[in-house]
Order: sequence, then structure tokens, then C-alpha cells
Amino acid sequence: MYAASMNEAPDRGSTPVQAPQADASALLLRVAEHRDKQALSALFTLFAPKLKSMMLRLGANEALADDLVQETMLTVWRKSHLYARRKGAASTWIYTIARNLRIDHVRRLSSRPYADVEAIEIESDAPSSQQIIETNETVSRVKAALAILPKEQMEILSLSYEHDLSQTEIAEKLGLPLGTVKSRMRLAYEKLRPVLGDLQ
Amino acid sequence: MTVAHHPQPETLMAYAAGTLDQAYTVVIATHLAMCGACRGEVAHLEDVGGAILEKEAEAKIGADALDRLLSALDGSPEEEPRPAPIKRHEGVPSPLAPYLKGGLESIEWKRKGPKAWLAELEVPANSHSRLVLLKVGAGAAMPEHGHGGHELTLILSGAYNDRFGRFAAGDLADHDDDVDHQPIAEEGEDCICLVALDAPLAFKSRLMRVLQPLTGL
Ligand SMILES: [Zn+2]
Repeated sequence: MYAASMNEAPDRGSTPVQAPQADASALLLRVAEHRDKQALSALFTLFAPKLKSMMLRLGANEALADDLVQETMLTVWRKSHLYARRKGAASTWIYTIARNLRIDHVRRLSSRPYADVEAIEIESDAPSSQQIIETNETVSRVKAALAILPKEQMEILSLSYEHDLSQTEIAEKLGLPLGTVKSRMRLAYEKLRPVLGDLQ
Repeated sequence: MTVAHHPQPETLMAYAAGTLDQAYTVVIATHLAMCGACRGEVAHLEDVGGAILEKEAEAKIGADALDRLLSALDGSPEEEPRPAPIKRHEGVPSPLAPYLKGGLESIEWKRKGPKAWLAELEVPANSHSRLVLLKVGAGAAMPEHGHGGHELTLILSGAYNDRFGRFAAGDLADHDDDVDHQPIAEEGEDCICLVALDAPLAFKSRLMRVLQPLTGL
């Protein structure tokens, strides 16, 4: 039942625009700076249902999805000091935690390349911080841009970001040549790129 | 380090979505270690993941789930226990370090031609991709090494030239198999590249079967 959102109409319009972003960032900072359990509870309320839906979509059963949500939120608690240094959109940061967890457990890489890159980013003296402060707005803009993306491009993004399918797997699933999947992804990128923030 | 050649946007997007197979992930992460511009780009592409998470439907959460989390906090270490740092060698970026524990000097090269050597790096058995190091003697042509498919080539040292230009340390060539090119290593220094390629014979493991051990958390 959760698989339907791929083709959902934009959630603007009839329902008021939700802006949990700024709040979520403030909550994360309270967790980081004050070890505030109430703030963590509020984040749990905001994100746990979405994270669980994502895990169920990937094929986890109820119990497993619950465990993965617990582990994601526990990692949020433990690593919030890293968020405090990088800032950025709370949903993006939580997304990367859930993604890395999924990669660690599902793909079983024999190394942790994402963690290595994160460490480099944190060490690097030129934090992309000015770009990062803007990202709360960026995520809202991306959401709006996703809502008007052509359906066949949104489908590719959804299968990639939400369903954890590689480009090859997407091509197999949709019965398309790999080159078509790549070019749709590239087109989606070109539509989203202007709203993603500064070009380097 | 000035990087001139970067991954294709759709490759960085797949990295941000977490769907690249291991060898490709390692090559991209190693490029990111050498390229601030692409690190910034990946941060942007992760915002797409954040936006998609915000749009996600909501599943019902059990009444006791929050209590379970809060009680887990008390027994939880303030920071994740870190794995012992892997000793890094000169010229080996951290995402590559686990595969080159003895550094670039300790690689066991297999000779593939008069001036070409190859070393296979170990990836898990369930991987669909191969991670190899290629060394091409100064002035020599790069040997055929792929089986077709998607190929990522990151230059670690030395340089080569082909019709796309000059590729030096940090540069990455992101090609599909239909691309015709003949890289020639520059005079003066051997060219060492990290390459990810498809391993078509590898078995695909099904997602949730491997997730099962987690259930006992
Ligand atoms: Zn780059």
C-alpha cells in the first residue's frame, strides 16, 4: 500500500505546505548540544513513520522495518555531534544515515566508503557550510521540483532513491535499455540541478 | 590537486542514492577523497534523497516503539564505537586503504603484457563488480581489460592521454562499453589506475535474505 506514492500528485494545494524542515534542524541541534531526549522523541515522531515506510518498501517485514527504524534513530542520537558540525537539512542527514545503514546491512560492503568520505568532508578546512545553511530551503525547492518532474523521470528517481535498485536493475524491471535509464536520470538531474544550489 | 575529469552526473546520483555496486562505490568514494567539487555535488544530490524521504508515505509505528528507543539510549555509548583506524600509506586515499593494506608498494602485480600489469582487489563474493588496479608502463598503451558494461577508471598516479584529453591523478573516466578510446600512458612515469568493471557472472543476492540476520537485534 505504500508503493503508490511514486505517482502521487504534489502534496501542495489542498493540504497546507508542511515545513518541518527548520524545526527538524533545530531539534537535531538540541539533541547534539543538549542531549535532549524530548527533541529526539519529536524527531522520532516526524521521521519514524517515513523511515518505516521506506524499509517496508524495500521488502522488510514489520519486525525488521521496526528494528531498522530503531537503529537509524539510535544512530541519529549517537552521531548528532557530526550533524552539528555539518548542519544542512535534517531530512537529508537522516536520509544518509538510513542509506548507509541499508548499505552496511544489505550490501555488506567489506569497507565503509561513505563513512570515509564523510570523515574527509568533516576534516576538510573548506566546509561547504554556506551551501549547507541554505539546504533547508533547497530541500523544499527540490520537493517542489520533484512534483513537476515528468512521470517517467520521477519513476527512475524513485526506483533508485527509494527502492534501492541499480540502473541495471531498473532497466530490467522496466524493460528499457540501460542507456534509456541513464539518460532519463540525466534529464532528471538537469531539471533538478538549478534548484540544488551553487554550481561549483 | 586540480581535477579535470569527473564522473557523469547519473553516476554521482546513483552513488548518492546508494545503489552502486561495491567496486563502483569504492572508485567513486576514492575520487571524492581527491575532489572537493564532487563532494559538494554529492551533498546536493543527497538533498534529493532528503526531499524524497520527506515525501515518503507514513507507516504505522507501534505504540511501544518510542519507549524502546528511549530505553536503548541509556545503555548506548555516546559515540559509535569506531573500528580501529586502518593504517594508511602514502598516496592511498582512505576509501581505498582497506583494499591496499600494504600500500601501493605491496601490490602483487600480474603481468598482462610487455608493459602492463594487473592486480585484482578483493570484493565480497556477492559483488556484481570487479575492482582492479592497472599499471601501464610509461609510453605504453592501456591493455583491453573489460568485458564491456559500465567502466570507471580513476588515475592514482602518472597520467595517460586519449581522445578525451589528459587524465592525471584524481581524474576519472566514466565510460560505457560502446565508447571507443585508446589511452596511452605518458612518458616519464608508470600510470596506475583503479578500475571498476562489471562482473557479469557474479550471482545476485536477494535483498532481504541477507537482511535477515538483523532481525535478532
Ligand atoms: Zn570530481
